[in-house]
Amino acid sequence: MRFKIAVVLLLMILSTTVSTANPGGKGDSVRSRDCAGSCHGDPSINGMSDAELDIQYQQDVYAGLLTEIQTIVSFTDVSSNNMVGLTLLVNPDGAKDLPASDGWEIITDPNGGKNNYVEIVDSFSSASMISQNWILRAPSNPGNYELYLGIQHGSPQGGVAMTGFSEPKQVTVTEVPENLPRLSEDWEPINKRELGEETVITLETVNTEKASVELKNGGEIILLPVINDKFTIPPAVNPGVVEWRVILEGEGPTQISPWFRLTAQEPGWDVDEFALYIQSFALFIICIGIVIIGKPSYSNSKDSKYDNTSEINSQIEQIDYAKHTAGQASTGPPLPEGGLPDGWNMEQWEYYGHEYLEEMEQGVYR
Amino acid sequence: MISAGTFHVIATELTVGMFALAGIAFLLCALKKGPISRESVAHWALFFGLIATPFAIISGINSSPGSGLDNPILANKMLLSMSSTGIAIGVLLRRFWGGEVDIRHSCFGMISVALMLITAGMGGEFSRGETLLVFIPKETVVIFPVWASISLLVVGLVIVGKSAIQHRS
Repeated sequence: MRFKIAVVLLLMILSTTVSTANPGGKGDSVRSRDCAGSCHGDPSINGMSDAELDIQYQQDVYAGLLTEIQTIVSFTDVSSNNMVGLTLLVNPDGAKDLPASDGWEIITDPNGGKNNYVEIVDSFSSASMISQNWILRAPSNPGNYELYLGIQHGSPQGGVAMTGFSEPKQVTVTEVPENLPRLSEDWEPINKRELGEETVITLETVNTEKASVELKNGGEIILLPVINDKFTIPPAVNPGVVEWRVILEGEGPTQISPWFRLTAQEPGWDVDEFALYIQSFALFIICIGIVIIGKPSYSNSKDSKYDNTSEINSQIEQIDYAKHTAGQASTGPPLPEGGLPDGWNMEQWEYYGHEYLEEMEQGVYR
Repeated sequence: MISAGTFHVIATELTVGMFALAGIAFLLCALKKGPISRESVAHWALFFGLIATPFAIISGINSSPGSGLDNPILANKMLLSMSSTGIAIGVLLRRFWGGEVDIRHSCFGMISVALMLITAGMGGEFSRGETLLVFIPKETVVIFPVWASISLLVVGLVIVGKSAIQHRS
């Protein structure tokens, strides 16, 4: 029997397969290369991604101002769920590699959040080229900077975790011209809103005499009126993204902002937390009550094969009685096999033993 | 420094491992098969699983993205884990008070283990987006009105109080 169990267990162990870590993704987050790639770090189950990775910048990137970059993933086959993890980093070392380490700030990631690691589901294939837009605030110190794009994804056959890293892409951040019309350094766009609500956005500008806003609606571009630096984006009926940008005119050269994305989403799941907590506690208490309700049937010591207390006691009593009545002839009936019954002493046996034997013959004690 | 996510993995694996061991031992108790030590193993494994449970819950809350209970899976995890913990404590109390490990007792032990394993399975779906429990409606949360929960709580406290007195008499 034990051999069969051992064989079954051995077969179960041998039949296990190596699977890709987190095939459903880990969720968007701020992650360094270490964390972003940790599940893809085992050399026995990973491989190099054959994706071509590229980062493209705007022509002018000014210190402390918003800029748009485009990350491009080309020519790679991924797992059946078409998910790819992209990480924007400033060095390939796995330490102090977050964009914030060089002074970059992520204002809007491709999924509408503010993370340097995002998971994208798209039609990735060896024939496709998928691009994503990021809005960043450039470092406040002018100079030359590098950005890297990391990628991780599953393999088409599954079981192998693929990882890749782009070449460094240099960007020159320049000083802001004195009279440049621009958005204030403190201003940030709104990234998300709920369905059915219109969104009023207030612009904060510097050196700007006139601001106009363009809204991308499908294939066409609509001009939105700006009154007192405020404009309104109409409510969304369905979940989706609208893009808008602002054109700033003043003494200096006219500036066009990046396309800002505003994601409309259904209201998140909400629950009355007090009701949930009180229900949890009620379930906790009632479950204890259900188990311990009523008086349990207590364990019977006769069931235990290791408990011979009654037998020992009986033998001790017999010995004591024999010592006590040494030399006296017993007047009681002969003892049954195994000695005195439980709870009896010899005196009782002398008087009532014959009744016990009669009842035993009739089968009362079976 | 160990992050909450790493610590959560340690705590949950300890909890799930202990509960799974307890579940197998309770199954043997229900079948009245296997070694004589099955009763001790079942209850001690359940006990140590219960000790590890709060660490798993706290580290899970700290490592979850977002804030608060913003996902129905998290709400279901809370309800299930509290129910499982309640049953497990009841089983241990009953045994501590000298209750016999009969089929009813063993079944309660196995129910507790099953609820805890479902809770762990839901955690896998929440963090990795995949689970073996495909047929369980994890997105549906049954929330009672507050008055119903309070009534249930009062009934539960009365039952526990009366049963405790009865067991001690």
